[in-house]
Amino acid sequence: MDNILKTTGMKKSLGKSLLYTLPMFLITFMFLTGGKPNFSDTASGIALLTVFILVNVLFFFMHFTGKTDKYRAVLFIVFALSLSYTLINNMLEVRKAMYFSQADILECKIPFCHLVIPMMILPAAFTKSIIFPGSIIGGFANISSMVVLWLVATLVLGRGFCSWGCFYGGWDDGFSRIRKRPVIKKINELWKWMPYAVLIMVILSAALTLMPTYCSWICPFKAVTEFEQVTSVESATKAGIFLSLFGGLVIVLPVMTKKRTQCSFLCPLGAINSLSNKITPFTVKIDKSACNECFKCVGVCPLYALSKEDIRSGKVSIFCSKCGKCMDACPQNAIHYGIKGVPSGTLKNFSRNLFLFVSYLFMAVFSAGSIINTFHGLLKFIF
Amino acid sequence: MKKTKIIAGIFWAFLGLIVFIILFPGLNNFSVSVSKLPFMKINPRYTGGEKAYHLVAEKCTLDIRRPVFNGFLKESNSGFVQIDWRGDLPALINDSIDYNGDGEKDFFIQINRKNLKTDLKSFNPKVKDVVISTPTSYGWAVRVGLLKE
Ligand code: SF4
Ligand code: SF4
Repeated sequence: MDNILKTTGMKKSLGKSLLYTLPMFLITFMFLTGGKPNFSDTASGIALLTVFILVNVLFFFMHFTGKTDKYRAVLFIVFALSLSYTLINNMLEVRKAMYFSQADILECKIPFCHLVIPMMILPAAFTKSIIFPGSIIGGFANISSMVVLWLVATLVLGRGFCSWGCFYGGWDDGFSRIRKRPVIKKINELWKWMPYAVLIMVILSAALTLMPTYCSWICPFKAVTEFEQVTSVESATKAGIFLSLFGGLVIVLPVMTKKRTQCSFLCPLGAINSLSNKITPFTVKIDKSACNECFKCVGVCPLYALSKEDIRSGKVSIFCSKCGKCMDACPQNAIHYGIKGVPSGTLKNFSRNLFLFVSYLFMAVFSAGSIINTFHGLLKFIF
Repeated sequence: MKKTKIIAGIFWAFLGLIVFIILFPGLNNFSVSVSKLPFMKINPRYTGGEKAYHLVAEKCTLDIRRPVFNGFLKESNSGFVQIDWRGDLPALINDSIDYNGDGEKDFFIQINRKNLKTDLKSFNPKVKDVVISTPTSYGWAVRVGLLKE
């Protein structure tokens, strides 16, 4: 059986692909509509239907073509864009501006995002409190829900969260796909350890100052979500840092290198997620007996997670986000999704089917709300 | 051993699947449970601290909060006290504040809501300066910097 699996690839027949899509179809239908689709408002109905179809068509093509990353990336990028749209739209509706004021901080009205989580840990342990001016429960983007979503996702997907759940990752993923070939071909790979340095730095500085220092001073995604009102030299400096990091690490370098440079070289949450890769059930495996060492996978990996040495040793590094790009590129079907404990080269289809169902379900349901909201906004704008 | 590992791996993977299927329908309940954990409350540096005194004037109220000095491992030497004005506020707010309840006024504060100017006169060496003075959805809030010792 193993030999058959090694040579057939991951493509499925039309009938089988439809069959594999059916559970996703039913579950996303239930989650998106609550079992009772509401078409009373035409724009909302069209937005809901479009997103529902988009989500399921992409999943169908993952099975039908055997390609993962190609279709994952579509939803992932749309998610990033629509989440930014939703956040900005919410800011504009509530505050008539993309910045938050001192009053918003004093009244703890700042939307929470998962990048704050590493900085919360020590203060939560030592001061028994959360160092973020947001809402613990209720309201838009509250702390408890984001913590639950991230915790479960990172325990089950590990760094897979960075390619299937993070609503920021789609930005540099998108920009890394713009050029056909990279302009900058080599970057010292030692930089991939940088997120750990950033992680330690922000954990310690946040504990000492009781401030989410990464959000206050570094986060590039402030440029596309919300930031502090520029009223002083300090807030102007912060805005300058946010914009430069967004321009450099999320736009320019991904375009030039075809890599997700923000996620590879900066994000402290990505560093924690990669540590949780150690305990998740799903992994990426290399079937050494099928690999002919063409190293196509090494070239395409957007997160510097694969080196020639990794391929030779048959082990993918902890930086892997399970995006599937290497698998789409592998002509031998040698690199594949796997399950911990199951030897590489075996149960390839089973492992892929299970992983895709779990990870895609998370992304589809997590992203649906903001994508529907964005489609709805676009429809209202056009008509 | 190899078989046990395979079965354990597949079991763990299916458990992940089940958890994900119940995650979204159960998100509200899970979040409420998480919100009840002892550390799930916003640090007083952000909330402004608990209310210590509540004063009622003709058309508005004044809340003086407990001074906040909290630090990571031990209390910090500098902190602040937050004052909130609520209700129908006059254009010019003038108030003398006794923040520690010792019967002595610690500072006098004047807020001009039109030009957003805030002046502080300190009668207590522990009272430093105005850290924040801002209109809020409920009225006005001021944070006055304090020294502990
Ligand atoms: S590295 Fe950070 S920004 Fe990138 S996908 Fe992961 S959590 Fe998101
Ligand atoms: S090793 Fe493969 S699955 Fe992992 S991040 Fe790189 S391309 Fe994606």
